[in-house]
Amino acid sequence: MIQYVDFNVLEVGDPLPPLAKDPITKVQFVRYAGASGDFNPLHTDDSVAQKGGMKGVIAQGVLIMGFMGQAISGWVNKRDLKRFKVRFMGMTYPGDIITVRATVKEKKKTEAGFFVLCDTVALDQNNEIKVSGQFEVSVGTNT
Amino acid sequence: MADISKVGTGLPPFIFEVDRVKIKELVHAIGDDNPIFVNKETARAEGYLDTPCPPTFVTLAFQEFTCAYLKAFEELGVSLENVLHGEEEYEYLREIYPGDLLTCGMVFESIVPKQTKSGQMVLITLRTSFTNQKGEEVLRARSLIIERK
Repeated sequence: MIQYVDFNVLEVGDPLPPLAKDPITKVQFVRYAGASGDFNPLHTDDSVAQKGGMKGVIAQGVLIMGFMGQAISGWVNKRDLKRFKVRFMGMTYPGDIITVRATVKEKKKTEAGFFVLCDTVALDQNNEIKVSGQFEVSVGTNT
Repeated sequence: MADISKVGTGLPPFIFEVDRVKIKELVHAIGDDNPIFVNKETARAEGYLDTPCPPTFVTLAFQEFTCAYLKAFEELGVSLENVLHGEEEYEYLREIYPGDLLTCGMVFESIVPKQTKSGQMVLITLRTSFTNQKGEEVLRARSLIIERK
């Protein structure tokens, strides 16, 4: 069995174990383009990105969202993830090293059961926020 | 600028087929080695019917395979060079599995012009509902697209 974080014992303000990613590579942008079907050349062709005023290719925002999805589905059984939203804040370049962090923001009880809301961010090696967001986990009815 | 008269309308329903190989490609591109997304036995041991879709898999439903974003921008009269992806949100209702045929209904929920320090922009909210071949709604998505002038 896969070991997940026990959301029942978490308190507001508690951090989840961070996910530290390897440095991002251009090859990863190409793979993500092929996988996702997002063939915007800003992500794969330096000359196009430079014409657009960037120093070179940038990551697809949803690739970074994918890192956050990876972190979340490591913390919680996927079926208990009820909601996940992000805001794309900054551009990510090859070589950037992303860490995904999250903290418990709120525990709430509704007619549908108990839920834990977490704030999450994807930060680079300079602690610059690339993507920020929130997710909501169902923790059943036993808390 | 996005055509405000289109608010409340949307795209004709389109089909997105959930392909096992695409799931594998996506998790490999992300570098996500969670076995539940690729290994049927592990997924079953965790109580799933098959390997579930990763949380961001439905981003594929808007791209090249359906051209939903491109069609939406065309319908709204928005030029691709002027758009940024501002926000993305998913509400998960049921699991999505390989082989599912999802019918996707996209509505242009709101179009709001906004004046900022860096000039005029338009906030376009696209809301999409995903329904599987059994008629069950499995996911709701919201994309906030920013049109810059």
